[in-house]
Amino acid sequence: MSLFKARDWWSTILGEKEEFDQGCLCVADVDNSGSGQDKIVVGSYMGYLRIFNPHPVKPGDGVQPEDLLLEVQLREPILQVEVGKFVSGTEGLHLAVLHCRKLCVYAVSGTLGNVEHGNQYQIKLMYEHNLQRTACNMTYGPFGGVKGQDLICIQSMDGMLMLFEQESYAFGRFLPGFLLPGPLTYNSRTDSFITVSSCRQVESYKYQVLAFATDADERQEPEQQKLSSGKRLAVDWILNIGEQALDICVVSFNQAVSSVFVLGERNFFCLKDNGQIRFMKKLDYSPSCFIPYCSVKEGTINTLIGNHGKTLNVYQDVTLKWATQVPHIPVSVKVANLQDLKGVIVTLSDNGHLQCSYLGTDPSLFQAPRVDSREINYEEFNAEMKELQKIIKEATKTQDILPKSEKHRDLIVTAEVSPDLDAESQAIDSEVKAEAVPSVTVKITIQSRVTAQKPNLAVCVQAPLAVTCDQFVFDDLEPDSSETVVLSVFLKGNCSPSELEGSCVVSYSTPTGIPKVAQCNFRLPLRLICFPAQSSKAANHKLTIDTNKPPISFLTIFPDFVDPSEDDQANVLGFQFLTGSKTTLLASKTSQRYRIQSDQLEDLWLITKELTLRLEEHFKKQNCKDFACTFSGSIPLQEYFELIDRHFELRLNAEKFQELLSERAVQFRAIERRLLTRFKDKTPAPLQHLDTLLEGTFREVIALADAAEENQANIFQAFTKLKSATHLVIMLISLWQKLSTDQIAILEATFLPLAEDTQEL
Amino acid sequence: PLGRRRGPSWRGCGGPAGGMGLEPEPLFQAWSYFRRRKFRQCSDLCSQLLERPPGEQEPDSEYTVFQAAWSLKTRALTEMVYVDEIDMDQEGIAEMVLDENAIAQVARPGTSLKLPGTSQGGGPSPAVRPVTQSGRPITGFVRPSTQSGRPSTMEQAIKTPRTALTARPITSASGRYVRLGTASMLTNPDGPFINLSRLNLAKYAQKPKLAKALFEYIFHHENDVKNALDLAALATEHAQFKDWWWKVQIGKCYYRLGLYREAEKQFKSALKQQDMVDTILYLAKVYLRLDQPVTALNVFKQGLDRFPGEVTLICGIARIYEEMNNISSAAEYYKDVLKQDNTHVEAIACIGSNHFYSDQPEIALRFYRRLLQMGVYNCQLFNNLGLCCFYAQQYDMTLSSFERALFLAENQEETADVWYNLGHVAVGIGDLNLAYQCFRLTLVNNNDYAEAYNNLAVLEMRKGHIEQARALLQTASSLAPHMYEPHFNFAILSEKVGDLQRSYTAAQKSEEAFPGHVDTQQLIKQLKQHFAML
Repeated sequence: MSLFKARDWWSTILGEKEEFDQGCLCVADVDNSGSGQDKIVVGSYMGYLRIFNPHPVKPGDGVQPEDLLLEVQLREPILQVEVGKFVSGTEGLHLAVLHCRKLCVYAVSGTLGNVEHGNQYQIKLMYEHNLQRTACNMTYGPFGGVKGQDLICIQSMDGMLMLFEQESYAFGRFLPGFLLPGPLTYNSRTDSFITVSSCRQVESYKYQVLAFATDADERQEPEQQKLSSGKRLAVDWILNIGEQALDICVVSFNQAVSSVFVLGERNFFCLKDNGQIRFMKKLDYSPSCFIPYCSVKEGTINTLIGNHGKTLNVYQDVTLKWATQVPHIPVSVKVANLQDLKGVIVTLSDNGHLQCSYLGTDPSLFQAPRVDSREINYEEFNAEMKELQKIIKEATKTQDILPKSEKHRDLIVTAEVSPDLDAESQAIDSEVKAEAVPSVTVKITIQSRVTAQKPNLAVCVQAPLAVTCDQFVFDDLEPDSSETVVLSVFLKGNCSPSELEGSCVVSYSTPTGIPKVAQCNFRLPLRLICFPAQSSKAANHKLTIDTNKPPISFLTIFPDFVDPSEDDQANVLGFQFLTGSKTTLLASKTSQRYRIQSDQLEDLWLITKELTLRLEEHFKKQNCKDFACTFSGSIPLQEYFELIDRHFELRLNAEKFQELLSERAVQFRAIERRLLTRFKDKTPAPLQHLDTLLEGTFREVIALADAAEENQANIFQAFTKLKSATHLVIMLISLWQKLSTDQIAILEATFLPLAEDTQEL
Repeated sequence: PLGRRRGPSWRGCGGPAGGMGLEPEPLFQAWSYFRRRKFRQCSDLCSQLLERPPGEQEPDSEYTVFQAAWSLKTRALTEMVYVDEIDMDQEGIAEMVLDENAIAQVARPGTSLKLPGTSQGGGPSPAVRPVTQSGRPITGFVRPSTQSGRPSTMEQAIKTPRTALTARPITSASGRYVRLGTASMLTNPDGPFINLSRLNLAKYAQKPKLAKALFEYIFHHENDVKNALDLAALATEHAQFKDWWWKVQIGKCYYRLGLYREAEKQFKSALKQQDMVDTILYLAKVYLRLDQPVTALNVFKQGLDRFPGEVTLICGIARIYEEMNNISSAAEYYKDVLKQDNTHVEAIACIGSNHFYSDQPEIALRFYRRLLQMGVYNCQLFNNLGLCCFYAQQYDMTLSSFERALFLAENQEETADVWYNLGHVAVGIGDLNLAYQCFRLTLVNNNDYAEAYNNLAVLEMRKGHIEQARALLQTASSLAPHMYEPHFNFAILSEKVGDLQRSYTAAQKSEEAFPGHVDTQQLIKQLKQHFAML
């Protein structure tokens, strides 16, 4: 992530399908030209050694043929190239090339031609060492403080440091506790080697200690080599950094104190010579390479860190000074003086992209891709837009969030209640204490005129009624097909329902994916919840309904309750509810009145409703249109208020239970928490009867929950009663005031108890 | 090395026919792959090394090569799935409620993250800056912990609506960690590389060079915290409790297991041995989980004394201030972050959103533009740019930004966000028809978008469709009970149609969500007068 990108000064791509890594890049005046100009030496795993001297005509140029001073194939993978004073007797720079099993030191020399492209360069092998072990990396320096020459130390894959004093092999030492090689460097100030071991610690070994330790090669038995020679090698200092390192660099510039820089996988450390952390920085990216270089500010050191996000960051100590994007992931980065240009950043990627660049405020040319390059024809678009708006307008008319009544439905659902009760009752799990709980069959038919996908039928009756099955899922319906299901309704709860109606809803989606519903209601027979019984003369509550027509014999309007053989039932009829209470219906012989009486106010409702419904039906059949019921008595408000009070009291109870329950639950959790801390302790303290307390609280919670549940059942019953009574009161008011259907609807809407009984109210 | 089996990537690129295979040692090659983060190739090469019968190996280094390859493969597999443990955070309902570490049930203001309402830094009110479920202003940068609110009671935790975006696991043991842990099944169809149940942990604990890589493998790749803890406990004993690294690892395990006090002890002990940025971050994380933000701040500040200018520490301080609703301090620290590292995306985004919500869209625009120039190229950024442009009255850029945002949206939630903002723009320019359609499109893309429901309801209300508006508002308030707008709108609507009862309940809910809202208070006062008159 950076605003700027590195300005390309010179770049090239090396070879094809060649691989490069950290050690493959080296920058130095390898041909001893004396001009102070650095050359770029690159070796590849494919064995190619190349030396470049870039001098672009203008920045950003590609490679010119004469930029490549030399290219040879060395027939063995090149692991690392270094330039130093490797040949005895001369202070000239020579090139050391590390292969897997060989170390070669070459002299690079050039002969000037007449013109620039006539220059010739060649390498000459000065000496080579065959290695007994597979090499990994190497470092060089004036080990032991020798003047004017560099010695080489090679680390093998199995952890042996092999030291070469130029043309001769000096000695080899095994590193203790070795598993995988880490980066290796030489600190000339303390004359020690620094590496990061597999134990994830920075380790420093004095050269002198190495030199005087037992020679690893003198040992005869390979087993002993690893075990004992390791122990002898005393470490100078150790710093545990807790991660593997990618690279180590030692810098000592004039103005800054000498420091050891370690680039870890997740952090970047700067250590003092004695192995203490001077500073560290947590990196929020995966670094790939780094190089410290001198800083303009006194006492600080700048560091270039490349990362896998293709960015080079420049830090001054821990402060990010600059970030720049590079076109590839650098595996190695160097700073060079090229063609009188100081401080060129040389980066190498693992597929051979070699670039020399410098920092600049060139913004990274990130071009967001064009979204849609289509030419905009405004007229056409306007026309299309209008067309679409029209469609949307049409659509919003018909498909709103709240469905409007549709005149013709694509899917029709009908419910047919069978006139007779089931011969064999289908009731299951009924809580009613009567001997036999009847049930009635409802046949529901879905007819579809269009394709309906995933139709889902839900049948719903008000509790305490219940159905044998309330959910049906069908396969997709073809146009003009139908489905039929049969189910039974019965009384489940032990109280009388307030309504004898049910509804069924079909939800489906059209092939275009619009969800739709269709529904219908059905009315259940009174016989489902009560049966004829002996009438009783006395009762607490009485209602009288006046009509404007002579009384009708119950034989005609209640044929399902009256036994025709008994004459006295023509004007007296007894109903016994399944739940036990009784209601009596009386028809006056002389006046045009009916009387309903019962011990419970709420029981009057269903019978009254049934009576008025059946009377209306009867007169409709006879084409008598002016039939009307009226009510002139007083509305039983007192009794109604009692029901309201009862219900309210239960609601208060419910609230109280809930409070208590949450209180106990909090207590329970508090005890649990205490127990948890006790059990987690390494030296468990005695429980101090916490377990008893826990169990006690648990019992209390359960008892409270039981009580709350019972209360809930009571609320439900009270609510049903209240609902019945409210219905009754509304009906009586409307009969009394002769209200129209619309007015009744408004009146019903004002009464809350007809809605749900929820906490929200 | 003649006739050696070749690594897969070297097939086909034959060297010259000189008998010498132009190919480094396989172990060296694997090691180099690892350094270049080519973990797949590294692991494959190591597998080949491990499969080789011992006889084929060089006799003198047989033991080491095997171990080295094994260790390298372990590290490669770990690196493939590595997520910095500091950034991992997920708190389940059970942890939150059965929090046995809470010191006081009712913390003093400014000492707890559980009481978001107490803003000392003059943070913006919810009327200006939207809040999250827990009542905190939304932040400019989504982190794992920004999404988790801290409900104060079990009841509230369970009642929080569980939409697709807010669903939280019952315990963290069943949350994101588990999904991370399945890495072993994905990478190795033949079965796990290391069979943990057969591992003799005590043996490995004695070999520090193997143990650390093995621990990270068990912890990050296999996600088996208990075994990891066993190994770490044995290893730290073997190191005679002198290796801070093992203590940190034990602390990490304890943290995962919910033993925060024990984790704290380990981290503190590790810090005594060696100051490390990571250890400080872990310790602060423990304090945050223990709901002691002030202690965490102190830890960070002490850490800054040791490591001046460490970005992660400053950023940690800024995050805490932001969570404690102390927006101005947070902004200060975010600015400090930028002084140290001016490419820090989180800091830029947070400062940008802070400017945006404090009514300075032009400045916010500059921050977001900076992010764009730095190469952040995603839907959210263009979304923000579009909004900033609109509020800064740069209308020409607004629509093209949103167009790009739509183009870049990766999932339906992002698309929904863009359409929602477009709806806002449409409201702003007075094109209610377009606004209506935008909000509808929002809902098509994300059915749980409470804000869109609310705004649609307002539009419906203007059209006089009271029933629709009511249905929409009810949906909105059930989806997002923490927002005060739907409640308040519902209260106004109900009051207009004369349903005082519902109006009063809704107004109360609105007051609960935003106690300082003047209009709500006035409405409640008015309603109370009405009731008194009755």
